[in-house]
Amino acid sequence: MNHIQITTRMGALDLQVGARFLDTFIIISGENGAGKTTLLRCLAGLEQVEGQLTVGGKMWLDSIAGFELPPQRRQSGCVWTDAALLPWLSIEKNIVLGAEPVDAEWLAELADLFEIAPLMQRKPRMLSTGEAQRVALARAIYKRPSVLLLDEPFSAQAPAIRQRLRLRLKSMQERFQIPVLMVSHDVEDARVLAHEHWHMREGKLLAALSCHSRAGGNPDQQKVANHD
Amino acid sequence: MLESLFISLQLALVTTVILLLIALPLAYLLAFKSFPGRTGLEVIVALPLVLPPTVLGYFVLVMIAPDSIVGGAWQSIFDRSLAFSFSGMVVASVLYSLPFAVQPMQQALRAIPVSWLEMAQTQGLNLKQALLQVMLPAAKGGVLVAAALSFAHTMGEFGVVLMVGGSIPGETKVASIALFDMVEMQQSDEAWILALILLAVSFVMLSLVYAVNRRGLDVGAGR
Repeated sequence: MNHIQITTRMGALDLQVGARFLDTFIIISGENGAGKTTLLRCLAGLEQVEGQLTVGGKMWLDSIAGFELPPQRRQSGCVWTDAALLPWLSIEKNIVLGAEPVDAEWLAELADLFEIAPLMQRKPRMLSTGEAQRVALARAIYKRPSVLLLDEPFSAQAPAIRQRLRLRLKSMQERFQIPVLMVSHDVEDARVLAHEHWHMREGKLLAALSCHSRAGGNPDQQKVANHD
Repeated sequence: MLESLFISLQLALVTTVILLLIALPLAYLLAFKSFPGRTGLEVIVALPLVLPPTVLGYFVLVMIAPDSIVGGAWQSIFDRSLAFSFSGMVVASVLYSLPFAVQPMQQALRAIPVSWLEMAQTQGLNLKQALLQVMLPAAKGGVLVAAALSFAHTMGEFGVVLMVGGSIPGETKVASIALFDMVEMQQSDEAWILALILLAVSFVMLSLVYAVNRRGLDVGAGR
């Protein structure tokens, strides 16, 4: 069981989130400024927060005990709206950055899954925004993370490829059994992917819906207890 | 003339190499860390920009004199004086050109997109990996500018090296001092040539700096 109980204040935003969740696929939605991205950044260890975090069976944060695991050691796979590819490295080198020796088989599998195989030797400046976003996804997953934190990872994808990516991401989650927290406004993302649907407003988690989705079928949504 | 030019080049080269090694950690600290005494450190690094070279030279000379701690230790290890030696000039030159090495690197490190630094963190790169694989390649323009400015500035030193080196022919008499002597002795042909060479070195180095700076503008544009 993963456990989040954090508070932080950033400008106008007063983030207070408490939740327990299994190693499932969680879609986070909410209006702009609701704190979705900030929540992911807190989990990644990129913001100063108070509280407790236990993810993937590992203690990440316990501010009462003065413990904080640095972002480098959280093994989180992150995709932000800025793909942050290093322009002087090839796509391949960007994906395996800091993770030598290279697992060529795994790299090739990811390149196929995210449809970037023909781009591997190119430089980031030659890529479209959508392609860069898929490279960022492959980079996040390449190092076999213990959790995936995805901030609108399909926002720059064409509708045709979106559905394929959803299904592949879903199978990744099932294969590795890791929690995936994904910010998305796309109802299709929620319908196809979500085991749980979190809605945020003004820095708070309003409701967590447990979804039993079957592709093509109606999501049988059931409201569960409002997490603290 | 050739001898003094050779000493100048040697001094500039050694100083630049040492400066790059010292300036990088300093630039890193000043670019990313907040700590007590930060402002003081920044002021000390920048001091040689405004201090009269003779003042800096005087303090270095006092610091490395044979009866000082540093100078005494040097004397007992190497059995020769640090003052009025090539090594003494290197010490003075490193201090004198410190801001020219630290400031471009500090600016280049500050200019690295935050998203790249955060990516390095969440991808699990340790500090050494982040430095070698992300920060240094991203800031290599700044490192190049730092090297070019340190080299050119050391080539152009006069007051500090005169004070600390003492203008000993074949050992501490650098090109800029040799030029002064030539003018005093009215060797105008030789003075012309030496002055032109020093001008050319400075011109080439500054051209490099400006070329790098112009290219640097679109380095961060790549996604």
